[in-house]
Amino acid sequence: MAALLLPATLLVLGLLVAPMAMLFRISLNQYDAALMMREALSAENYLRALADPYYREVLGTTLGVAFSCTLLALLIGFPAAYWLARMESRWKSLATILTLFPLLVGNVVRAAGWMALLGRDGAINAGLFGLGLVAEPWPMLYTTGAVIVGILAVVAPYMILTLAAVIESIPRGVEEAAANLGAGPMTAFRRVVLPLALPGVAAGCVLVFILCMNAYATPVLLGGPQFKMMAPAVYDQFVRGTNWPFGAALAFLLLIVTLVLTIIGSTILAGRSRSR
Amino acid sequence: MGTLTLDGLCRRYATTTAVERVDLEVAEGEFVALLGPSGCGKTTTLRMVAGFVAPSSGRILIAGRDVTHAPPHGRDTGMVFQSYALFPHMTVGENVAFGLEMRKVARAERDARVREVLRLARLDGLGDRLPRQLSGGQQQRVALARALVVNPAVFLLDEPLSNLDAKLRAEVRIEIRALQQRLGLTTLFVTHDQEEALTMADRLVVMERGRVRQIGTAEALYERPADAFVAGFIGRCNLLRGTPEAPGQFRTASGALLPCLPQPARPGDILALRPERIALRAAGDGLPARLAAVTYLGAQTEYHLDLAGTRLVAVAPTPAEGDARRGLAPGDAVLAHWDPAEARLLPAEPGDLLDDQA
Ligand SMILES: Nc1ncnc2c1ncn2[C@@H]1O[C@H](COP(=O)(O)OP(=O)(O)OP(=O)(O)O)[C@@H](O)[C@H]1O
Ligand SMILES: [Mg+2]
Repeated sequence: MAALLLPATLLVLGLLVAPMAMLFRISLNQYDAALMMREALSAENYLRALADPYYREVLGTTLGVAFSCTLLALLIGFPAAYWLARMESRWKSLATILTLFPLLVGNVVRAAGWMALLGRDGAINAGLFGLGLVAEPWPMLYTTGAVIVGILAVVAPYMILTLAAVIESIPRGVEEAAANLGAGPMTAFRRVVLPLALPGVAAGCVLVFILCMNAYATPVLLGGPQFKMMAPAVYDQFVRGTNWPFGAALAFLLLIVTLVLTIIGSTILAGRSRSR
Repeated sequence: MGTLTLDGLCRRYATTTAVERVDLEVAEGEFVALLGPSGCGKTTTLRMVAGFVAPSSGRILIAGRDVTHAPPHGRDTGMVFQSYALFPHMTVGENVAFGLEMRKVARAERDARVREVLRLARLDGLGDRLPRQLSGGQQQRVALARALVVNPAVFLLDEPLSNLDAKLRAEVRIEIRALQQRLGLTTLFVTHDQEEALTMADRLVVMERGRVRQIGTAEALYERPADAFVAGFIGRCNLLRGTPEAPGQFRTASGALLPCLPQPARPGDILALRPERIALRAAGDGLPARLAAVTYLGAQTEYHLDLAGTRLVAVAPTPAEGDARRGLAPGDAVLAHWDPAEARLLPAEPGDLLDDQA
């Protein structure tokens, strides 16, 4: 058994742990304009990132966008997932594939599509102008709203499919029993479906939250130059600023914040599903 | 509690008609069993009463109120599902209290009623367990208790015993019947087990391919079946193809002439004769027959008779040891005798003769 697990363990170590360890090591080094970086063991980069109001704001924006997108994905995704899970006909597999359809297009291509739709001279503004509804183009591109909508379109399929898998495992008989005992649809949902779907809600939210926290192409393309989230900020440090130690520290901050919030969130949800 | 009326109830699907014009009156406190072979529309009928399947046409009245278009939660039926459908995240007590909560019964009364019904269902002390911590039989009783506690106008059960082993099934059968009578519940019970239906129900509804073939007490169905299907489905029956000759004479397809009840006959009629109404004798009145096989079944013995090519089954209590009939063996000649009134002509539809008979 142990021998069988060895290759997988080595693979995980090699592909995941080793780069992370390297990154962590780099984050403790010091930036040097000439050498790029100097060997050191200091928390200086972390302290700088946390003290700098700019990066605090970037982190705040990232959290705001990630929370909004996760919540919206849940609100939109639950009814869709329920509908998908309870579908009976032969259209079910088609509907599942259609749900996945948005993921067939890469993030960059999709964002370009949104740009064509939302831009100053994009399809929506052209339509609004043509109908005489607006005199000036309505600014939609390069707003937080555009980023949230763009990310939502990427993460919604993950939420829907995760929830649908769990909802499908809830026997329909249980819902019928609730109705039979006098529960209207809303009560049956609140008392029976939702509590039984909580593990799926937790899994979907964690997955989507992580995806949102690490979004790169969408915030860059739809948020514009003024808008910053953490992943693009890390990229800037590595590629433009060539400050690897600071970039590594930012990356680790992002990782830790995501991890801590994920653990807190899933602990709360797991606790609720046990107590009810 | 109340009456239940089904009035011309139909349910059609794209390719099949699951239920075709079912009319039924269930009186207050009456226990009616829907009985029939697999796929005859029993579950569909029950689910229409509960509101989970919309009728294609016809009406459903519960306690005189037309609920045909009412949602399931507005019907006041108490259903026991074949799978039990207990809420897995709630304790036994919470499961049972759910219906009372939905009816806004005050806390104190709710607790008292839950305790009472758990006692009735012999579940005392299990109120804090989760369904998965119970045996199958206990889960089944929780499902019963949960449906009973709200005092539904109509009590609905869909093969509630099919997941239990034979011994438990016999016990629970008696328990359900006792509870139903004690609480005076109007009950519709679905089963494909005729013994279950015969032992529990006041009246039985025999269904076949979506239609009601006959409604009546166990005795009425057994003694006076409306057609060959009912005769063959309730208990065992010799069903013989042939043509009536003179009044009181029936010529079987293979040529034997059998005495029967003189009755106006229609073409296609079938002669029905219960195996236990055939007596075997050594001398006296009777048709000469040859024993093709003898099957000892303990309390009873089954005799397969050959009357000049016509096969009949007779059943009799196994004779005591020493009785001459105990020694009957295949190949022996006997006389088969029955009261002609026991052999009746019954209408039949194509497909009514399912077994090797005819
Ligand atoms: N949703 C449906 N779509 C199409 N046909 C259906 C549907 N539900 C039931 N049927 C058909 O209707 C007929 C009656 O089904 P039903 O479940 O009522 O039978 P049943 O008497 O309960 O049988 P069983 O004893 O096997 O449970 C069957 O032929 C079945 O295939
Ligand atoms: Mg059924």
